[in-house]
Amino acid sequence: MATSKPNIAELVAQMPATDKEKEALKAAAQQPDQPKPKSEEPVGSKFDAPDPDAARRIGDAILAGGRASLVELIGLIRDPASEDFQDYKAEYLCHCLTLQVGAPDRAEHRRLFIDTLVSQIGNDALPAHTRGFLVRELEWIGDGAAITALGRLLTDERFCDDAARALLAIKEGVVELFRKALAQAAGRCRLVALQSLAVLRDPASSGEFLKGATDGNREIRLAAVWGLARLAAAESVPTVLKAAETRDTWERIKTTQACLLLAENLAAGGRKTDAVKIYTHLRDTRAAPKERYVREIADKALEKLGAGRKLT
Amino acid sequence: MKKHRLVTRRDFLKGSLAAGTAFSLVPRHVLGGEGFTPPSETLGGALIGCGGRGPGTYSEMTKSLQGAGLGLTKLAECDVRWLDRADNKTRYSDFRRVLERTDIDAVAIGTPPHWHALISIAAMEAGKDVLCEKPMTRFIAEGRAVADTARRYGRIFQIGTFGRFSENKNPRSLLTRKIMTSGLLKKCEGVAIKRGGLKVKEWSGYVNARPQAVPPSLDWDLYVGPSQFKPYHPHRVGGTHRGYWDYEGGGLCDMGQHALDPLTYTWGKDHTGPVEIEPHTPPAHHEACGMWGWVELKYADGFTLVLDSAEWGDAWERKKSRGVSVEDLAPEDRDKFKALPDPEPLRTFGEAVKTRLPAGGNAEAAHRTVTVIHLANIAIRTGRKLRFDPEKEVIVGDEHANRIAHQPMRPPWHL
Repeated sequence: MATSKPNIAELVAQMPATDKEKEALKAAAQQPDQPKPKSEEPVGSKFDAPDPDAARRIGDAILAGGRASLVELIGLIRDPASEDFQDYKAEYLCHCLTLQVGAPDRAEHRRLFIDTLVSQIGNDALPAHTRGFLVRELEWIGDGAAITALGRLLTDERFCDDAARALLAIKEGVVELFRKALAQAAGRCRLVALQSLAVLRDPASSGEFLKGATDGNREIRLAAVWGLARLAAAESVPTVLKAAETRDTWERIKTTQACLLLAENLAAGGRKTDAVKIYTHLRDTRAAPKERYVREIADKALEKLGAGRKLT
Repeated sequence: MKKHRLVTRRDFLKGSLAAGTAFSLVPRHVLGGEGFTPPSETLGGALIGCGGRGPGTYSEMTKSLQGAGLGLTKLAECDVRWLDRADNKTRYSDFRRVLERTDIDAVAIGTPPHWHALISIAAMEAGKDVLCEKPMTRFIAEGRAVADTARRYGRIFQIGTFGRFSENKNPRSLLTRKIMTSGLLKKCEGVAIKRGGLKVKEWSGYVNARPQAVPPSLDWDLYVGPSQFKPYHPHRVGGTHRGYWDYEGGGLCDMGQHALDPLTYTWGKDHTGPVEIEPHTPPAHHEACGMWGWVELKYADGFTLVLDSAEWGDAWERKKSRGVSVEDLAPEDRDKFKALPDPEPLRTFGEAVKTRLPAGGNAEAAHRTVTVIHLANIAIRTGRKLRFDPEKEVIVGDEHANRIAHQPMRPPWHL
């Protein structure tokens, strides 16, 4: 596809100056006799985006340079926290390309762009900031070709959150990657993998959810019980009900919600008996004044299911 | 064999907890009995998110309850910037500790918008009623989750914007609403234009912002919450957070719900959304909200809604504003129209808390309004014309745009 080699640095430089840069230039122009200040560190500032047609032409010029040009552009992205950060422009221009190739009539460029990003997210020579940025762009634009490389990042605490988001956005074919990551992950990555499996309603993870429901970590317990509620398997009813008997008030609020969600899912799936079991349990155990509102929800649901009795 | 249509979970939820009319949930303060105060007395209140609009929101809640004959005592305040002064008795830095309290009945939420949905949901799960600042949510899927929770728990939710209450007393607006909801208008030629006043430049985010050390009093991890984790910079906190997609959506999110809620009420759009969204905008930055020109949104019935920033590019000038009137109805339908009942008065938050019937700015209506804002912002962020299915609440034919409408959250947070 590459037919010419564009000057990437020159194209990047065409992105607009920020408001503060424009103010500084204006001030300098009004005082021509003053010595020019030394170039200063970049300062946080608003900016006005470029003309859309001009931005599109710049994007097309970069894409015409093929993979080599994209890699060169990515190589210009710097971490704002680092000493060699100069400005926003390379990173912003890369995002402009995400928008440009996302259009329906840009399939060929989209393939080139996605494949290039995928090839770079595992590149240890790039700063973590740049790799993280590319992963976040794949949440927008990524497809099946990105999932293997993203999956490898699920056990890296620097990238697991963003990689999980991108995979959950892509959806197709990702569940196995989360299962594999859960088997290997520790700390934050473990929570991310488990919760992602709950988002995906992975039936094959029910064993992990059942195990997680009694984990020593509260966030793992909550993710696991939520996962069970979303799976709506009748076998999980005892575990979810037991989890909702905790004395920890925040956990009790959230696990009670899981009970209600599970009951709704079971009722909607035709498992009326199991739903009645949950509502009956909540009606009978939420008698204390502070939880009466839960009892009333249960009572109303039981009435709808034809299993209610009047609230006394 | 006869096939039975399995009821979806949403059907079950709607059926069992139908929008308040037959719902008999009674809050603890009404029940009487040991430990409870009679309805004429005082509820326990909390404010979560004490900067900016927060105190004003709590004040609105107090006045509304007083207007319905209910008192409110502030028992707790919470802010993530209070790590150094939280006593976990009246001052908190973690909203979960506030919601655990059983003496709190009503919560005002004044945090940045990326927390509005989750805290509203958690508060209702904890048995509280909610007055939540606008914009209701940060992305479309959140609003549906809030509306579902309000129904499931029989709680009162009111959005912190009240323009529709004025329209509810305006004869011209009521006539428009009656025409639009009558089912008799064959094709709507109505055009509503909101031009200017959307603070686009004012609430733009920064580029070139170098991360800084987190102030010791700020719980940055909890502040970021469900959003993508980014390094701290003071411009991301305290009002200027509006300039970042991670927490809000620029001036359109800040001012949009104020501007649009009266319009969605008047034009009868509380249960639907636009089907086509077209932007005129430069390429958006991926983190910092920035400039845009206009967005045109069309509904299936022909109604057109335009948001024109008046701050960038050419003005939208395709049509002029146009209302609807009885003359827009076919002659044979005008008598039928006259026989229809007028729109009902809207309930204030206080009246809703007292009666347990939905508030005027309830979760469903507020969600439909803020969805217009989010669709406009998605069109701005992608730079593309979009199609939306308001029944399924998905963007059609543009997977990338749909990913912005339905975003994963950072664990442990989820909808």
